[in-house]
Amino acid sequence: MTSLLFGLRLSRWGITGFSLLALVLTFVQTVGFYQIAGHTPGGRAAFGASMTRLAAQLVVLFPPPLRPDTVEGYVQFRGFQPLVILFAIWALASATGFARGDEERGIVEFALAAGVSRPALVASRAAGFGLALLVASAAAGAGFVIGVATGGESVRAPGLIEACILLVAVGIACYALALLAAQLATARAAPALAGALLLVLFLANSLGRVFDWLSTWRWLSPFHYYELSQPLPPGGYFDVRGLMVPLAVAVAATAVAALAFIRRDLGAPLVRLPSGPHRLSRDATNIPLWRVPVLRGLYERRLGLLAWSAGMAALAAIFVALTKTIVEVLLSLPALLPYLSIFIHQQLYPAVLGYTYFDVAELMFAALAITYVARWSAEDTDGRLELVLSEPVSRAGVVLERMAVLVVAGIVIAAVSGLTLSYASHQAGIDLSSQRVIAASAMLVPFALVFAGAGSLLAAWNPRAALALVGAFAFASYLDNELATIYKLPAWVHDLSAFKLFGTPLLTGVDNRSLALMLLLALAGLGSSILVMQRRDVGA
Amino acid sequence: MLVEMAVAAIRASRLTKDYGSGHGLFDLDLQVSPQEVFGFLGPNGAGKTTTIRLLMGLIHPTSGGAYVFGLDSGRDAVEVKRRVGYLPGDVPEFGSLRGSEVVAYLGGMRGRIDRPTVRALAERFDLDLNRRFREYSSGNKQKLAIVLAFMHRPELLILDEPTSGLDPLNQQEFYALLQETRDAGATIFLSSHVLSEVERVCDRVGILRSGRLVKVAQLDELRHIRVHQVEIEFAPGSEVPESRLRSTLGLEDVKVDGNVVTCSVHGSFDGLLHAIAGSKVTNLVSTEPSLEELFLSFFDEPRPKALPS
Repeated sequence: MTSLLFGLRLSRWGITGFSLLALVLTFVQTVGFYQIAGHTPGGRAAFGASMTRLAAQLVVLFPPPLRPDTVEGYVQFRGFQPLVILFAIWALASATGFARGDEERGIVEFALAAGVSRPALVASRAAGFGLALLVASAAAGAGFVIGVATGGESVRAPGLIEACILLVAVGIACYALALLAAQLATARAAPALAGALLLVLFLANSLGRVFDWLSTWRWLSPFHYYELSQPLPPGGYFDVRGLMVPLAVAVAATAVAALAFIRRDLGAPLVRLPSGPHRLSRDATNIPLWRVPVLRGLYERRLGLLAWSAGMAALAAIFVALTKTIVEVLLSLPALLPYLSIFIHQQLYPAVLGYTYFDVAELMFAALAITYVARWSAEDTDGRLELVLSEPVSRAGVVLERMAVLVVAGIVIAAVSGLTLSYASHQAGIDLSSQRVIAASAMLVPFALVFAGAGSLLAAWNPRAALALVGAFAFASYLDNELATIYKLPAWVHDLSAFKLFGTPLLTGVDNRSLALMLLLALAGLGSSILVMQRRDVGA
Repeated sequence: MLVEMAVAAIRASRLTKDYGSGHGLFDLDLQVSPQEVFGFLGPNGAGKTTTIRLLMGLIHPTSGGAYVFGLDSGRDAVEVKRRVGYLPGDVPEFGSLRGSEVVAYLGGMRGRIDRPTVRALAERFDLDLNRRFREYSSGNKQKLAIVLAFMHRPELLILDEPTSGLDPLNQQEFYALLQETRDAGATIFLSSHVLSEVERVCDRVGILRSGRLVKVAQLDELRHIRVHQVEIEFAPGSEVPESRLRSTLGLEDVKVDGNVVTCSVHGSFDGLLHAIAGSKVTNLVSTEPSLEELFLSFFDEPRPKALPS
């Protein structure tokens, strides 16, 4: 019991953050439905049709919605489905944080020294995360209930409870699988291995909706079982397998993870890769890159840069491969033909790629900036910044170098993914303007810099809170873009969203005003972060 | 003819950092001369690290000023740090970087790496720079921090509890390194909470208590401060020289329990050794009091609840 409470205490910020996120997401989507779709059957039917069109473009991420002309169907699609992805990310961070992060910090050692057995520790943390998921899912349900109340309607309780329970089931399955994967690798590689496992399972299911050859493997993915049910909309259904299989996976994976934890040494992976004989050295490394500003930062992050580049390139290739399929699906819907006629004459593919690949690329580049901010904050809180500033470098120089590293990394990743997009499109017979591809890929860099600028300021002001705050800023920026039109917010408020400023460069080219605004926001963040960094105490 | 006066290596003038609730550093006036080894002594939370961070320009003073070689440590921070080697109280995390990469990374920020010095330091402390930082024990992390502080042969070394985590053999090696560094012309400012350590390596000592400098002492003065709790066990049946012990200068609180004597020794052990000369001693245990206990006896500070009366 003490272990369970201690685990909950350690993850209190995660529980608070994700519960708030879930509450806001479902509430905003519910209220948004009433704002856009209105209360007349005709208005809602038209809205449902437009949602079906959107869903066809997003088929690689989310399953097609059921009754999107109803608030329940819409929120199931736009609220609960994204929450599955967010909860999977939370599960990944939480499981690897416990399995290896707490171990590196010595927390696990203390717990074991206090007489807690390894299986009990694993079980208590898994149970703790299950409780955390229950709280966050209940918050999602509460957001929906409050939103529906503002629309003067009522909620069908059984459907909502089933939807919330399914979120818990898929979340705990992801947690257990990530926990198991984290036992196998070194502390450094554990998050990557666990993340790769969850990504593969997610893609196996989502791409399986499009590619027939993958559909036979969907049963392996816990995300597949979540999709067996759509309990919220009218006429919805609840498949008990969707609940039982993820729970069984969670129990089995947690048990195997506990066994692996028993068998391995603390701090070591279960599977040790053979390494060559160790060579003792008393010298500083000869690699000259360590002496060159910016390059030393890139060199230190070289594996991450490689992984980001490869991942984005793979995404580009996958989305190009999907585009043809998506377009075929769109063209097969007679109701959409008038809508699609706008894009005839070679504009359809850029439109689809722009709305699918570049939407995902925006999210990925926002995530890239956030990971850099997390790194800056960690350098500050673990004392590395203090040591760096004991060298003859200025504080402004440190801030500028950090940002320069991100700029160069962003350019490299954007270039690799842009080249892959061009090449894959050419191979698939999709005619894309090279200039537009270059422009759209390049726009991802200032887009990421908006978040990096804000993150740099937050990291300079309060490094311990920076990661949560920049995450909230990114979420607010996303919501701003989503809601500005719905709530008819002033244009300048909409312009504050980097997601809005990015625009549709593959389809319409770069909007110079938006580009200038993005650069202005990034520079404002950078400049103010230098000022704040000059004034603050480091290491205190 | 213009006579150039020697600039103090470190000068603090009414240096104050007020964290509120009585925490911080208050009105520190201090001067450390070039080639001096200055020890900054004080219990945990006394303000040693705050002083060091102010000198390094890492934190800003609430009032007053800190100067290194005449340069303002805040305004001229970059120039100051060109001339300083710094060892922080807590060695930061460098994760999966190898020791050799950490050295190259931080050395690179200075523009060049003095490879022979790095090699000599690593050999001296038997530090394998080919290991990843996360594989290092806490002692090895401290050795790496020592290499980083000394590798560019700075004019001034600012060291925050430099021997924490080092085993006794490496502590001896470190003391020898300090001596050589001072002999080569460098100034050393180090903090510690171990009296015998600063007594061993320092020329002068500043004693800090609750954020205020209560004394700056020469080594001789420090020896008067020094107190040891001693327990002497005499052979069964042999005579205990009680009257000689009680009359010896520097011995206080003499208590005799059968053939076991306990007492406090202030300063030198000569008197005690003279008093027990000729007696059959089977065991002698000397314990250096903690700084807290020392402050209680020397500065007559209020007694914290945690300490026995």
